[in-house]
Amino acid sequence: MNLDYLWHGFAVALTGQNLLVGLIGCFIGTLVGALPAIGPINGIALLLPIAYSMGLPAESTMILLSAIYCGAEYGGRISSILLNVPGDAGAVMTALDGYPMARQGRAGEALTLSGISSFVGGILGSIGLALFAPVLASLAIGFGPAEYFVLMVFAFATLGSMVGNQPVKTLIGCTLGLMLATVGLDATSGAYRFTFNQPELGDGIEFVVLVIGLFSISEALVILEHQGRGFTVIRELGRMTVRAADVARCTGTMLRSSVIGFVVGVLPGTGASVSSAIAYTTEKRLSDTEDTFGKGDVRGLAAPEAANNATACGAFVPMLTLGIPGSGTTAVMLGALMLYNIQPGPMLLTERPEIVGGLVASLFIGNFLLLLLNLPLVNIFARVLTVPNWLLVPGILVLSIVGVYSSHASVFAIFLMFGIGMAGWLLRKAGFDMAPIILGFVLGHVMEINLRNALAISGGELSILFSSAICIVLWVMAAAVAVLPTILSWRSRRLKVARTARMAATDG
Amino acid sequence: MSDKAGTAHLIGRISALCLFGLAVAYGIGGASIEYAFSSDPLGPRMVPVGLAIILGLLCLLYVRSPGTAEAFPSGRLLWRVLAVPLLLVVCIAIFETVGFAVSIFLLTFGTGLIFGAPLGYAAVGAAGHAALWWFIFSYLLQVYLPTGTLFG
Repeated sequence: MNLDYLWHGFAVALTGQNLLVGLIGCFIGTLVGALPAIGPINGIALLLPIAYSMGLPAESTMILLSAIYCGAEYGGRISSILLNVPGDAGAVMTALDGYPMARQGRAGEALTLSGISSFVGGILGSIGLALFAPVLASLAIGFGPAEYFVLMVFAFATLGSMVGNQPVKTLIGCTLGLMLATVGLDATSGAYRFTFNQPELGDGIEFVVLVIGLFSISEALVILEHQGRGFTVIRELGRMTVRAADVARCTGTMLRSSVIGFVVGVLPGTGASVSSAIAYTTEKRLSDTEDTFGKGDVRGLAAPEAANNATACGAFVPMLTLGIPGSGTTAVMLGALMLYNIQPGPMLLTERPEIVGGLVASLFIGNFLLLLLNLPLVNIFARVLTVPNWLLVPGILVLSIVGVYSSHASVFAIFLMFGIGMAGWLLRKAGFDMAPIILGFVLGHVMEINLRNALAISGGELSILFSSAICIVLWVMAAAVAVLPTILSWRSRRLKVARTARMAATDG
Repeated sequence: MSDKAGTAHLIGRISALCLFGLAVAYGIGGASIEYAFSSDPLGPRMVPVGLAIILGLLCLLYVRSPGTAEAFPSGRLLWRVLAVPLLLVVCIAIFETVGFAVSIFLLTFGTGLIFGAPLGYAAVGAAGHAALWWFIFSYLLQVYLPTGTLFG
């Protein structure tokens, strides 16, 4: 296996500028993750235009954004443990055992142990990414336009079946994203589509405008609505060290959960919330012999933390090698690459090794930085939880406005962001997730180009979409992931009905 | 059916109808795109029309099972929620005219109050926001921010 790209990446990531960028990203990411109001997508969305307008090179921007992403996965545990409110979706399961530990006066211990688990998950995930990315990229190198189109259909099918319990809404979200991607000049025909004679829409809806609108403006309104649900921060952290026996007890848990997290992360459409839930329930089944899970068991704390950090690394695999984001956050990062006119895909590794290598190497370095930041400075990060919303939310709004203005210098773009934000808020009220919209938007343009190129090659024959073995395998996989959850849920419903009927008969 | 589930169903059905309307409008807009030539058999119309059909079909499924939704705020909270976008519109509209400092002060002061800050805290917080972000963007990051045509 050729790992030259990784050594090249270390040379990139270890430059003074990139180390500083990585450190800033880790710090901001941990802060963002610690705040229950904003997650990694919001943090990345707000900082992306700033990084872009600062003129940072693409590899530095990717290092910054990936550091924020991983930092947020670390930071999410802080509010889960001290507040019983997850800082991000991946930290939901952390609260189950982390908060009881904090209430038992073991908050410091819980924060330290979860920091170590995050580190193990992050490092193992980075190793998986470094080893797995070149293999997948070399397999995908023979993909033509037809294979790419079907691959994206597969990504949408996976998303529809795995994200949340409302697949129709997920698919509607994807379709809305695809529709938004059609706005602007069509390069092959020179036709303007859905621009309403606005010259600002000629180049389409800018990614920054969409992502900030969806994730920041709508978030401010959601925070306002949820304000006043009283939470109590646990301020007594207690001992900040962990017992060697506890670390030894958790070692197997961390290793198993990291593997689960990485594998789940590689699958498009799944995320840290899924992986941490699987890791937690797996560990509960394997180890909870004394019924201590949910009551402050260290293994119940270590499992989700190792898994969600490994997932963050796993999600980079499809993004960097296939150009398919593994999560909402990587969809935003994919959009960031496109801002630099870089098309992610299997050729990225050979054409721009400094970006892929730099990112992977920065994950290794970033995990060490995060461990160093998160153990001694956890007190400072914990204080972030006391920042009142009346100070925080105006800051989010200012960053949103300035972020869009700094990239476009146009009030029209800010109004567009506002309109998208309001639409996003209405969709969130109706139970829609924003990540599928971003995924559809990011993939929409590439998907359309590949479909049209494939049909141009075949002279309009749709059979080209089924002509190769790769296409057929991908269609079968797409059909399987689309149908399988429905069959499984139908089967479990039938079993439940049968069990209820049996119990009723026994009672009768 | 409980009140909460009933509200969720109603919100779901209204959203589905709105999205269906969007699909129809988008499809009609897509079908009427004008172009002189295209180097591929699909042309610029087919993808929008196809997406409109997919969205329309998904909306039919959505109407049948609207799933969960969150009730809209009511009473005082509704007015506070509506005040935020109103304030944003005003501040964006005057952003270039009165400049960054004034418009951002107004925005952060107003949102501070809406989010429950006492008057004095909101004013100090807003002044701090305006000064801090101006310093970070204009001086540290060298990002152009409008100073306001109103003040020359």
